[in-house]
Amino acid sequence: MASYSRRILPCFWKTTKLLTFEDSARRVPCRYHQELLPTRNYLLPETVEEHRKSELSKHPELPPSITSENVPADFRFVYPEFLPDPQYDRRDSIRERLEREDMYRRRAVIDIPEFYVGSIMAVTVSDQYSPNKENRFVGICIDRGGVGLRAFFILRNVVDGQGIEIMYEMYNPTLQSIQVLKLEKRVDDKLYYLRDAPQEYSTFPFDMDPIPVPKGSTVPVNKMKVQLNPRPWLERWERQDLQGVEDLKLEQRFYDKAAKVAKPWEKYDLMKWYRENTNEEERDSIMQEVHQRKRLTDIEKSKRKTKLAERKR
Amino acid sequence: MLRFPYRARPRKMSRQRLPEEGIIVGQEGRLQRLRQLVTGLVRYERIETVYQHCDETRGYAERLIHTAIRNGDQHQHTMEMADYWLNEKDLIYKLFDVLVPRYQNYSSAFTNIYRTPIVYPGRGTEMGILELKGNPWPDVLPKQRDNRYVISNVLLQAARKDYNTSKESRKTKNELNSSSENSET
Amino acid sequence: MNFIKCLSTYATGTRSFSTTSCLHEIRKLARMRVVDNSALGKAARLSGKPARVIHVYNKTSVGTVGDKVLVAIKGQKKRAYIVGVKQNQKPNMPKFDTNNIVLIEDNGSPTGTRITVPVPSALRKKGEFSKILSLATRFV
Repeated sequence: MASYSRRILPCFWKTTKLLTFEDSARRVPCRYHQELLPTRNYLLPETVEEHRKSELSKHPELPPSITSENVPADFRFVYPEFLPDPQYDRRDSIRERLEREDMYRRRAVIDIPEFYVGSIMAVTVSDQYSPNKENRFVGICIDRGGVGLRAFFILRNVVDGQGIEIMYEMYNPTLQSIQVLKLEKRVDDKLYYLRDAPQEYSTFPFDMDPIPVPKGSTVPVNKMKVQLNPRPWLERWERQDLQGVEDLKLEQRFYDKAAKVAKPWEKYDLMKWYRENTNEEERDSIMQEVHQRKRLTDIEKSKRKTKLAERKR
Repeated sequence: MLRFPYRARPRKMSRQRLPEEGIIVGQEGRLQRLRQLVTGLVRYERIETVYQHCDETRGYAERLIHTAIRNGDQHQHTMEMADYWLNEKDLIYKLFDVLVPRYQNYSSAFTNIYRTPIVYPGRGTEMGILELKGNPWPDVLPKQRDNRYVISNVLLQAARKDYNTSKESRKTKNELNSSSENSET
Repeated sequence: MNFIKCLSTYATGTRSFSTTSCLHEIRKLARMRVVDNSALGKAARLSGKPARVIHVYNKTSVGTVGDKVLVAIKGQKKRAYIVGVKQNQKPNMPKFDTNNIVLIEDNGSPTGTRITVPVPSALRKKGEFSKILSLATRFV
């Protein structure tokens, strides 16, 4: 079969492209039209073989000694981007699996530490236009989201009296390093209200020293309350049930309207939650996989370190 | 994880007429109506309403039982949910003491749903029946009677067997005869 | 759409109105912050009447970082470069809290002698900004 198709398709038997009728009509001599017509949209056997032998299709065999029965309970908060997009019409299990493989591979190269909204982080990106070919930014993480390779976080800081926010993609290959300077959580999921707060709440020095967290300790929660500037604001903060904000000092009509548009029953809507989130069983299985892969990469890293140390001796 | 096909988007159940609250419109009214249906389902284990409402109720009831199985009665969020979804509070005990042990080892859905025939003449409303599995009521669908050992069937079976054996013996005889004729010629 | 709405407000005689929609687009009549140390920019800031865009020199008429605009400032028409925007940006591109401009003269040389706030590093890839970038003190 292989030799046959090689004979009739000398010019592109190696391509990974799907053959369309237009392609075949253009490139293949007339006498082969009839042969190609019925199989208009087919994949060449060589291409299939190539894909079969590629690195992507190889799944690393997990040694029997590593079994992760007890995944830490907070794992899904540390690695939320591994959970798939729960919108079922956008889901594709093969793509999700491939994306996760890519993420593991990226994580083997760059250290993406544990961080939360409210942590202070430093990110170095490669920048071809700066003289030292890199650009470092320090700021507080005000939001984190996205799924798979498109996971992102947003850093905010005030430099020379100018508020600046930069969105970084976690798995962007131009990122050189991600460092957590101060690991902590805030009481809110998103800190966009810092845009309407005085600048001192989001000012962090670029030469800040990392504050180490003792191993095994829980992540501290910063219960700081922010006093917002007077209106006008970018959003209607009084409607958002913010915990980390002081009394907003508004007229009563604002609170009345907020109470009118509030939807207190939404948290009881079990099916709404189910439709908008990954269900528990699937979440657990994915987190188990992440846990297993993390242990494997940790072992590999430690092996590499010991090898390096031996070489230095 | 729900073990039955569910709709991607919720149905709108607008204008619910409730005995205490009167007519309630919108999302809130929808949940009020569903609460009543879930409470009724847990109380009586079988309810009969509009098919679409049965289907909506099914998801909520199953999710409630599923959360109860997963988290137990010491979990605050689960207790809040049980408190909201069961209007009659004695049913919270039933949920944790009766339903959770019943469905703990199930690998299928916890409920059954049926369509009932449309009553004619009438408004043509599609009605349905929703029930918890393992309920004490008689089955909705009639059980097929096992009539293998009814006397007429036994006799027919025997007659069929006789006929087949005689047919086979005749066949073998014929074959033998033909083979002997062939050998003679 | 927002722009049309704002214009209609203008016609009815409302004095203070804003073209800043939720998209934070820099269109005509958008108010800008002058971030160089020119006397004109400082006077505009102190008087409470910031510079307003009266033309954007590109095809889409929505300005982004690096675009040239014509602004009305203290009764004068001045050209300026946008050096920071409020609009949501692509990954790795800074998003500023204000829309910043640097005033230039008609011959292309900057009016001020120093830029007081950080400037996006991506501006450096365009050659035409060398005069402005030489005034910048910090890049992000």
